[in-house]
Amino acid sequence: MMKEEFRSHASYSGQERFLTFPVFVFFIATVVALTLERTLETVSLKQMTEFAHLSAFIYGLSVGTFGLMGRQYLERRYGRNNYLVAMPYILPISFKTTFLGIYIRDALFYVVLLLVPATGGLLLAAPIVGYSYGSIGIFFSSILMTFMLGLSMSFLASVMYIRDLRWFGAFTAGVVALFVLHGAFALIPLDAIMPSLGMQMNLRPFPVDGPAAAVYAAVSLAAIASMTAIAYALVEVRISISSQSYANKLPAYYAKMHWLTGIKRALVAKEFVDLRRSGTIAKMSFSFVLPLLFLSFTAWFVNYGLAIPVGFNTVFYAAMVGFVGVMMYSWLNNIDLAEYYSLIPVTVPQLIKVRIAVFLALTLGISAFFVVGIALVNGEVQHLWLALIVMFVTSLYMVLVLAYLTGLRTNTFLFDTNILAKFSIMSFLPDVCLAILSFSLSTNWAIALLGLALVLSSMSVASLILYRGIESKWGKTSFDA
Amino acid sequence: MAAIEATDVIMDFGGMKALDRVSIKVETGDFYGFFGPNGAGKTTLIRIMTGQLEPTSGSVRVLDVDVVKEPLRVKELVGIVPEVESPPTYLTAYEYMYFVGKVRGIDSLDDRIDKWLTFFDLEGKKGTICKDMSKGMRQKLMLASAFIHEPKLLFMDEPFINLDPIYQKLLREYLEEYVAKGGTVFMASHILEISERLCNKLAIVNLGKVALQGRKEDLVQGGEDLERVFMRAIGGGLLRRPS
Repeated sequence: MMKEEFRSHASYSGQERFLTFPVFVFFIATVVALTLERTLETVSLKQMTEFAHLSAFIYGLSVGTFGLMGRQYLERRYGRNNYLVAMPYILPISFKTTFLGIYIRDALFYVVLLLVPATGGLLLAAPIVGYSYGSIGIFFSSILMTFMLGLSMSFLASVMYIRDLRWFGAFTAGVVALFVLHGAFALIPLDAIMPSLGMQMNLRPFPVDGPAAAVYAAVSLAAIASMTAIAYALVEVRISISSQSYANKLPAYYAKMHWLTGIKRALVAKEFVDLRRSGTIAKMSFSFVLPLLFLSFTAWFVNYGLAIPVGFNTVFYAAMVGFVGVMMYSWLNNIDLAEYYSLIPVTVPQLIKVRIAVFLALTLGISAFFVVGIALVNGEVQHLWLALIVMFVTSLYMVLVLAYLTGLRTNTFLFDTNILAKFSIMSFLPDVCLAILSFSLSTNWAIALLGLALVLSSMSVASLILYRGIESKWGKTSFDA
Repeated sequence: MAAIEATDVIMDFGGMKALDRVSIKVETGDFYGFFGPNGAGKTTLIRIMTGQLEPTSGSVRVLDVDVVKEPLRVKELVGIVPEVESPPTYLTAYEYMYFVGKVRGIDSLDDRIDKWLTFFDLEGKKGTICKDMSKGMRQKLMLASAFIHEPKLLFMDEPFINLDPIYQKLLREYLEEYVAKGGTVFMASHILEISERLCNKLAIVNLGKVALQGRKEDLVQGGEDLERVFMRAIGGGLLRRPS
């Protein structure tokens, strides 16, 4: 299973490039550790630690979606990829055993992929900045527990999702409620949700309270073990062949797209049928709206909760909306296999361009709604016209960067350090420029406006170049490459 | 006129030569059988001939179109039945036919869709999404979608796989009629009994090279059947049984 997971990831970008990913993480962790002293001038060590644990928890949650993904793999049974998760069908092995195998594989694989190299980076920096190796060991242990907590919780939620949607709804609502009680109302401490954080806070480099740390560690381990045991006991993979009959919607969608011509009309209509029937539109909306709400909450919390005059305004927010939404393009590429396109007169660039158009159709309305909302809440209606332009240009630019770099295999960029680096540079530079210029709007309106006009013009020109470049970059690629 | 003309085609997958100087000529009206062991290069050649894959070197012309230069044009002209039946997960049988028809620029589709769904006994599955179909149904749908634009040339990779005996017979009869009316078929298959009845020309490929090719009556002689010719061409006498 470990080999399968490695080869699956390496198939996106090649073994060498995939193996540079942990090296990349190691390098970043070293840089973060070396510059920690400067960072601590503005952020406390406690806040940094909480942030690290929250990130590890979310990482664990995202890794542990086996239940959902496993079902998807199995349902795509006519694809070219067969996964070991399907073993129980043909070998004398139970789903429970396979499930446990996947759980252990995910835990080991993703710890080695990210947590180990990150800790390695800290260890490298330790002698230079004077950290104790013992403290780094404690940090690794606690963050490992947090990751496992997220992973176990996610596995349990996945199992519940398959068994009974009501269980799943109640469980996720409970977890969300805990975070809301902490984040919005400060009614419960974060270490009550993540006891491993409590363990860390009672050990070096924080003031040491051995018994308290031991209790937190025991509670963490018990939570991990009990959630895993419940998931193991309840796991069941149900593959249902539905006899449901569907109304033939494609002709209606095709008729609605009368303003499009040629192949594009059929391709766009099909994308909308796929989105609707696969249930992806709901998942996409959730994964788009949630970060936007989080962003709104952060902006509000920094401005009013912490009363830090950072200057988050509607224009800044509009730029961020453009950046946050880009991953929606990835969803479009993961709905279904695309091999059948190679049998009909359609090219990869045509499909990429259609998906860009569908992405814009799906996201611009929601984005505009949020930008208008934030302008009203902040009392900045006078900035709304500018914010909407910024939102539109950044959305277009970001999706074109992503589409140009990754084509129809967007997940590639997550594990190919070469593409990841290009994507980071191409998105980070305009992001920083737009953020700085938006902050300057309140102090020097004319200069900020001129700067924004320059940056937005550059992004528009770059978008045009990227759009035209899709043909030459992806024109010779086959649909199953 | 040659319907297909492949000359010195080489396909190199990072040091592994899947095809090594393969040359094949198929005349209009031929039913051309393409045979070989697993991994011999049959599917690779079909993918090259249909513009799905660019060869490392060599030239391929299909219906007088250069496949390397105009792969899209070739796909417009021909019908392709792939080795793996993989219609889109979330479209119904009717919608997939409609989608393929619209991509191919056919305006009035309903009669054609009805004709082919009825032929393959899929009219009761018009509203079933491909995910919920059996392998045989999906194979029938792939065949129906390859026929919808009534192409003059069909590329078929294992078209009889997953079909029950009734539909193997129906498909065989349809293909015989199709060729009799002037159509051309290039078919890769492991089912030698059916192929022997259909093909007038054949090639046997092994380890990426053409081991044997020509007219069926010249190759299958003296009481031999296609299976024996196949075994002789690939050195099948050396094959071992598991002990």
